[in-house]
Amino acid sequence: MAGSTIDHLISVTVFLGAMLIFISLFNQTLQTAILYQRHSALATKCSDLLDNMLLNPGIPEDWGKSDVTPVGFGLQDPEFTQYRLSPFSLMRLRSSVGEPVYYPRTGLTYSNITMGLGNFLLVPYSEAINYSAVAKLLGINGTYGFQLSITPIVTVSIEEIQRKNPLILSVKVTGVNFPLANAHISYCLLTIPIGGGSGSYPFYTIDYGTNFTDAQGSVPLSFPYVKQEVSYVFIVYAYLGGLMGMGYYEHVTYIGSYIIPFIDDFAEGRMLIAHSYDVHNDTDTAEITYNATFVVLAEDFTLRSMSVENSTGKLTYGIGWPYAYVTIPKNVRSNPGILVITYRKSAQETGVVLMPWGISSLAFPVVFGGDPTGQEWVATDIRQVTVNGVAYQAKLALWSLGG
Amino acid sequence: MMRTIEVMLVIIIILGAFMIASFFAVLPSPREVSPLNLRRLALTTLQLLDSNYSLSAAAFVDEDDSSFAEVTSQLQIALSACLPPNIIYNLTVYQVLGENSSELYSYKWSISNAESLGVGSDAASYLVASSNVTFRVTPEKIGERGFGGTLYILNCSDAYGWWVTGYTTHSLAQDLYNLLSPYFKTTVMVQNTTDLGKILNGTSLQGETVQNAVIINTCGEAVPIPSGYYATQGYYAPRDSYSLYCYILGQKTRQFNWTWVSIVGYPLYYVSNIDLFPNNNNTYGIYGMKNVGPAGLNAFLRGLDQIDYNATWWNGIQWKQAWWQDQYNNWIYVHGWITQSLSNPVYLSPEALYYCNYYGIYPSPYQTSTRALNSSVLNLYHLNPATYVFNPVGVWVPGAVYKHVFPGAANITGSLFALGLTRTPDIRLTVLGLLCAFKPRLYRSEYTAANVTRLVILQLGQAGGI
Repeated sequence: MAGSTIDHLISVTVFLGAMLIFISLFNQTLQTAILYQRHSALATKCSDLLDNMLLNPGIPEDWGKSDVTPVGFGLQDPEFTQYRLSPFSLMRLRSSVGEPVYYPRTGLTYSNITMGLGNFLLVPYSEAINYSAVAKLLGINGTYGFQLSITPIVTVSIEEIQRKNPLILSVKVTGVNFPLANAHISYCLLTIPIGGGSGSYPFYTIDYGTNFTDAQGSVPLSFPYVKQEVSYVFIVYAYLGGLMGMGYYEHVTYIGSYIIPFIDDFAEGRMLIAHSYDVHNDTDTAEITYNATFVVLAEDFTLRSMSVENSTGKLTYGIGWPYAYVTIPKNVRSNPGILVITYRKSAQETGVVLMPWGISSLAFPVVFGGDPTGQEWVATDIRQVTVNGVAYQAKLALWSLGG
Repeated sequence: MMRTIEVMLVIIIILGAFMIASFFAVLPSPREVSPLNLRRLALTTLQLLDSNYSLSAAAFVDEDDSSFAEVTSQLQIALSACLPPNIIYNLTVYQVLGENSSELYSYKWSISNAESLGVGSDAASYLVASSNVTFRVTPEKIGERGFGGTLYILNCSDAYGWWVTGYTTHSLAQDLYNLLSPYFKTTVMVQNTTDLGKILNGTSLQGETVQNAVIINTCGEAVPIPSGYYATQGYYAPRDSYSLYCYILGQKTRQFNWTWVSIVGYPLYYVSNIDLFPNNNNTYGIYGMKNVGPAGLNAFLRGLDQIDYNATWWNGIQWKQAWWQDQYNNWIYVHGWITQSLSNPVYLSPEALYYCNYYGIYPSPYQTSTRALNSSVLNLYHLNPATYVFNPVGVWVPGAVYKHVFPGAANITGSLFALGLTRTPDIRLTVLGLLCAFKPRLYRSEYTAANVTRLVILQLGQAGGI
């Protein structure tokens, strides 16, 4: 009788122990499978969401070219099909990486996609579309977080080999870790000659040209007519087998005070021209004059300059007339281009700044959305896209907010 | 002891079940759990490479071409430059052979940056067409389904035009013929006013159907008038006016359910016949033409709406002045001058813009309208704008196709297409307006034509990792 009871107790204990072990083992397998399933669903959602963003222009279709807040989110260029994105819609996305800029003269804060000194894209928060609004428009607010990165595929890096007599620049064109050999390049050199007298508006000359890269994707370019050190900006478009990219390089002889352009009105194509002291409170408060021009890329991959309204002016810091306006003419406003603003303090002290009108004009990257750092699982997907002919890679990182 | 053995047996069974379940329930590899959509990446890569038709050009280069090495090298560079470093590819080009061949595709060449793409690859296909290809478009003929289908183009050699500056009526007629004849079952060039008289009598010129026809008046503001019967019947002697002829035109338009097309300016403002008016001019020195004034269109509308001719003087003070009557013989109806000169440009309607793309006709989207018709007057005559070519500006309609429907009636009894633009006429707007109104469909030839299409397949795989 006692043996039977002991046998019973041992068997029940062993059985229960074994069951617990097996339940935990099965549970682990099931949990892993469920987790895999969730991750797989997240990847599918990521792919769908990316296509949803890239394959519809939004509502209204031309929201990128206007000041309206879209009621449907999409980045496709309304004039095209497939994965062609609107350079203007991208310009209205509030950057999630650039430090916002506050400009006291207007009292507005600006989204910042500045790519180093002299290359600005500052969009007022009131005109930029923010992350939460887009999440709501996409129907994922509170359920998923995302970060959309639009990065140029082709990198055109420019190095100054010799500054004067002659000016020699080296252009190197690379793709994603791969040089673009025999790529066709089209360039534009805008120089600000020394002279012209103090106080006058900066005068500039523009020179155009084309060339090809060698097997390493490089090409040296010489400009014999640049005898002295001058301020200049060099803009290059590179093209090979359907891939187009662009790059730029500036050299300025004066950087104490400079021009900072802000977008003022998308629909009107109006930019606000500010003195750097009023934005950064630098030490240099010198009065500067400016001269603006608008450069567009023609269909034959050559650059053409167009005149802008109120192209010249004078800026003083803080007092008087602290900022001015430059307006892109209506007939070219719907074309992406580059606003080139030359400035000068004196005959020898000049400079130049650039601002893209349409994100692709200076191949600016865009990072929009939340921060995926620290998320448990982030699904990513990529697409190759073009933005006004410039090759970009669109990458979406998506994570679940549901735990 | 027995129970312990039983329990051990149960444990063995459950363990076996677990092992069998684990063996068959294979969890996917991490790469499969959250995969990169290689199919989409491949497709977008192909689209990117073909964004300026570079891929199309490369795909049609064959291995024996002298440029083959250079072209494929550029393609390889472009592929390597745009794909992420861990992505390996194989791009293969096939010739599409078409229906008459036993095979659908034949292999041409391929390029790759790896011997094998592994097990986890995916591919996208893309059709490219040779730059030598011209795609055939077969338009549906107006009248093939239903009524009508005849297009009359007034190309009367014995009548002059007005406000067709820079063109002759003949050149306009020829352009209209070239642009519109593919869309109509029958197109007839009316070579003289005698033939016009026959049409007005309902007599067919070449066996075509007169009923439901479209008549385009290429003489601009003038309208050809036959010398015989219609010149007699259309002349109102008490006022020396040929507005009665315009009235008859309105009646005939209603009777035969025509679509009367005025290509520019004020419709029916003059009548023209070289033989009938050898000594009359339109007050601007064009002989063979006689001024009718706004009475012409008003009379046409009255005839179209089956209202008595019953001419009366308009009671506007300025129009009563003797100098006006004498100089312009401006004998008019109740509504007098019923058009307006619009100060701002007028714009193509959304419908017209849509059909610009559909039919491949691209006139300037904005024009100057100096003879926009008053919609309230047209409403009085039961003309409903069925198709706006230009956006209306208030009550003024710069260009539209109006259909006449009697109150309570279901059927259409005549139409008027008036383009109230200033000279010089752009004949493409007339074509666009008619195509907008009739909407003939276009049947495009198949894309997979033999030997002119190639299939490009890009297969992508991921290198390294699991």
